[in-house]
Order: sequence, then C-alpha cells, then structure tokens
Amino acid sequence: MITAAGLTKRYGAKTAVDGLDFTVHPGRVTGFLGPNGAGKSTTMRMIVGLDRPTAGSVTVNGKPYAHHRAPLHEVGALLDAKAIHTGRTAENHLRAMAATHGIGERRVREVIELTGLESVARKRVGGFSLGMGQRLGIAAALLGDPATLLLDEPVNGLDPEGVQWVRRLVRSLAAEGRTIFLSSHLMSEMALTADHLIVLGKGRIITDAPVADVIAGNTGTRVRVRSPHASQLADLLAGAEVSVMRSEAGLLEITGVEASGIGDLAAEHALAIHELTTLNASLEEAYMALTADAVEYRTEALR
Amino acid sequence: MTTITPTPAAAGTAQPRSARTTTLGFGGVLRSEWIKLRSLRSTGWSYLLVIVLAAGMSLLLALTSLSGFGDEITAGMPAEAQTDLIVRTMTVGVGLTQLVVAVLGVLVMSGEYRTGMIRSTLTAVPRRLPTLAAKAIVLFLVTFLVAALSLVGAFAASSIVYAGEGISASVADPDVLAAMLGATLYLALLAVFSLGVGTMVRSSAGGIAIVVALVLVVPTLVQVIPADWAQDAVPYLLSAAGTDLFAMDPDDALEWWQNLLVVLGWVGASGAGAAVLLARRDA
Repeated sequence: MITAAGLTKRYGAKTAVDGLDFTVHPGRVTGFLGPNGAGKSTTMRMIVGLDRPTAGSVTVNGKPYAHHRAPLHEVGALLDAKAIHTGRTAENHLRAMAATHGIGERRVREVIELTGLESVARKRVGGFSLGMGQRLGIAAALLGDPATLLLDEPVNGLDPEGVQWVRRLVRSLAAEGRTIFLSSHLMSEMALTADHLIVLGKGRIITDAPVADVIAGNTGTRVRVRSPHASQLADLLAGAEVSVMRSEAGLLEITGVEASGIGDLAAEHALAIHELTTLNASLEEAYMALTADAVEYRTEALR
Repeated sequence: MTTITPTPAAAGTAQPRSARTTTLGFGGVLRSEWIKLRSLRSTGWSYLLVIVLAAGMSLLLALTSLSGFGDEITAGMPAEAQTDLIVRTMTVGVGLTQLVVAVLGVLVMSGEYRTGMIRSTLTAVPRRLPTLAAKAIVLFLVTFLVAALSLVGAFAASSIVYAGEGISASVADPDVLAAMLGATLYLALLAVFSLGVGTMVRSSAGGIAIVVALVLVVPTLVQVIPADWAQDAVPYLLSAAGTDLFAMDPDDALEWWQNLLVVLGWVGASGAGAAVLLARRDA
C-alpha cells in the first residue's frame, strides 16, 4: 500500500510533481502512465526517499520508507536499470545489497535463478545488455521478498520473451496479494498488465481509475461506414452529438452514434452500405485523448 | 522463505508474506561495504600498487644511497644514524602511495555516483549516514592493513640492501615502530579524508583534482606566499602534518600528537561536510 498526500516536488521555478493524492492498493497491478517529463520517475524516487518532497508526503504501508526497520522487505524498487556499479559482477552486486539486511546467500541464488541470470551472474555488469541490466534490477528488487514493488519501465530493452516474462511475473506477484506500482510508456503493455491506472500529465493526476473505465470513458465509439452515398449519409447523421470524418471518397468515420443506429438510418432512407464496422477503442487512444493537453514535448509538425 | 515463482498463483487468495526475519543493521551495512570494496578490480590493483611502490622506492633509494657512501662513512656509523637512515629510506614511498590511497578514497564514493549505484545503495539504506560511516570504517581498516604491510615491505627492502654494508636497525626499535605507525595512520586517514571529498563533490575527476592539489600543490603555494601567516599555516596543512607523523625531524613546530590532531581535524571536517550533504541532497 502506497499513499501519497499533496506530494509536490519543485526544482527551482519548475514544478515536476504538483500536489499528488493517490493510493496504490495491494493485490493488483497499478499502472503509472504519462508522457515524458510528467513526473513519474520523480514520484517513484520520492516514494523510496531518494528525492525529498518539497511539500506533502508519501508513505509505504503506513510509514515513510526510511522509517521501516527493514526497507528492502517492505519495498523492492527497480528505478533505473543503470543504478548498478559497472565494475562489479551481478552476483556480487546482489550479495552487497543483500548483506545490508542480512539476507543470505540462498536468497541471492534464488533471485538469480528466478530472473534467468545464472549464465552471466559472474560477469561484470559493464558488459550487460539493457535487457540483462533490467533482469538484474528486478532480481535486486525481489531480494527482500517485498510486499510492495516499484518498477519504473521494467520492460524497457527486453526482448518479446522478456516482456512476457515480466508480464507474467508482475501478474503473479499481484495475485499473491502484493502491491505492484508499474510505470511504462508502452500503453499496449499497460492494457495487458495493469488492473488500475494512474495517468499523470505535467505533474498532475489526470485520471485514477480501473483500466476498463479509462478506455470506455475517454473514447467515444467510432464506426466506419463505406457507402456510395457517403455525403448524403453524412448530412443525415450530422448533429450536435455526432461527428463525421471523411477520410476518402465514400468512407466515413463516425463518432457519437452506434453502428445499429447508422444501419437503421441508412435502411430508412434506402441508402446502400458496403461496410459498417465498429472500431474498438484502445488504451492508446484513450491515453492520447487524456494527455492531449498535458504533453510536455509535443511534436508540432506531426499534428 | 517462500520462493516467488513466475507462474501465476491462485488469484487473490494468498496474502503478502515474507520471511521477515532479517532487518537492516549497521553490521550488515559494514559487510555490504566490505563486499563492495573487495569486489572491484580497481581496489586490488590500487592496494597492490601501494605495496609495490613502497617497497620498490625504498629498494631504489637504499641502492643509490649505498653507491654514494664511501667505506669510511658506513664503517663507523653510530646506531642512531643507522636507524635514522633506515627510517628515511623505508618511508620514502609514502610521497607516492599517498596519492594512490587518496584516489582510491575518492573513487569509493564517486564511483557510485558515476555508475548510478548510489541509488541502489541509498534505497537499501535510506537513512544514508550508516552507509558513509561503514564506507569510512571499511576503507580505514583495509587501508591501514595494506599501508602497514607496505611499510613492513619497505623496511625489509631497505634492511636487506643496507645489511650488506653493516647498517641495520631493529624492527622493534621505537623510532622504527613510531615511523611505521605514523605513516600507516596518515595513509589510512588520508583515504578517509578523500572519501569525504568524493562524497561532497560526487565526481571522480573533481574529487581527485581536489585531493591531489591539496596534497601536492597547496603546500608549495603556501610556502611561496611572502607573509608570516602563510609560514605559520604550513604545519597545519594536511600533508605537512601527515608527513610529520613519520618523518624524523626535531625542528617540527608541532608535537607528534598535535600533528595527529591536525590530520584528524581535516578528516573530521571532510566527514562532517560529506555527512551533511549526503543527508540533505537528492540522490
């Protein structure tokens, strides 16, 4: 359980995180989504006390992270796959981390096996690929068998097999009743992994809701209609609630009215229809709709 | 302890559970820092260099000294002069080994900032200061041990060469022991001082530049300032006080224990600055 209250971080005149109030509950995967510069990583660093909040507070299981007697047993954090000394072997990195909490050699072996690092455990981290670095970071996060896991972009740099592995791991950890707080810029990955979403834009929470609600609530259903009488049909459909987009001759994309309504209307006026398809909204579209006003670095030319 | 497996467990039934039989403690942090220090290749190379430089420089100085002596000098050398010669010869390498331990001291912390390791370290020890204390203790103890070995090696190298000319000193001679202890203490404390500098500046290049300048450049600079206060300040410089811990010079302005206090003062200032900044800054 992670609870933030009025959590704020300012760097000089720039406000990176602006008064966040949220709770991350156990037993489910909470996705943390937002454009670059939205404040996701800063928020995660404040949770484990690496950055000090300018105002507000954040607690883990009721206490500030640093006040726990065994922090690594409370929270496992993968904040940055590069947060490892490149001159040390994977095994020795894990041993050094484990030693702080008196965690034994057996657990070190377990997390090495669990993350599939056996063959590289005695190699220096400097030669690791990004994917191996991520696996080592996840191994370190799991050392204390923590009830809460913070994972900042864990699938970054992983191959498809690795992405699936992280997805299964995260789902199973949540099923065991753990609190999982996962950030990713891959919206499609969130749709598959997360149960709940906190969407951040310009340091503020844009939405905090179950994934299904986010998708349903932020994209009207779109219907694609192909018809030789496209313009006539468009005129008939036009109204306050309905928007019609003409992408090419004879093809319409309509928002604000169900496919059945369009079909009935066409039948009523004896207009032939060659295609009538309901386009499913994706999380990605919902996300774009949500953050349209909150994107820090926009690519103007493409819009 | 339950093993986490990547295969999905029965949804929503299990409770978070872990074998929380272990806690964060200073003993663990000490062991962690010991693992970190010995698991880096640069540590081994640096310490090996300290021993090789100390013994090698003494060997070279002993050989060149001998070739400069006539038989009439070595024949009737009083015991006191023999001891003095051996002490000077065995500590000649400190001028170089001090640079090695200073660089190592800086790197112990700046290396963590360079690689990002510091974020892992401070996540494991969120109160932060135990990490600094543990690093200082481990670095002091290991450097003390290696420095002591290097001086024993330097004494052996000097003694072997001089023995051919009948010059000798006992390793149990109080002057020899005092010089060994003084040089060893200086090197170990200089490493801890440098750790503090590395913590404050968080950069290997910057930290090394500062400690090398302080040890090599500042004493020369201060000596050429044509003012009384500059001359008065010289004995209180880190390297001057440190060198006086083992150099046999009766003209010293300060007593042995006063020199030790001066060195400890430098270490304390660096440690305090490091502690304040480490505790306050975002990592």
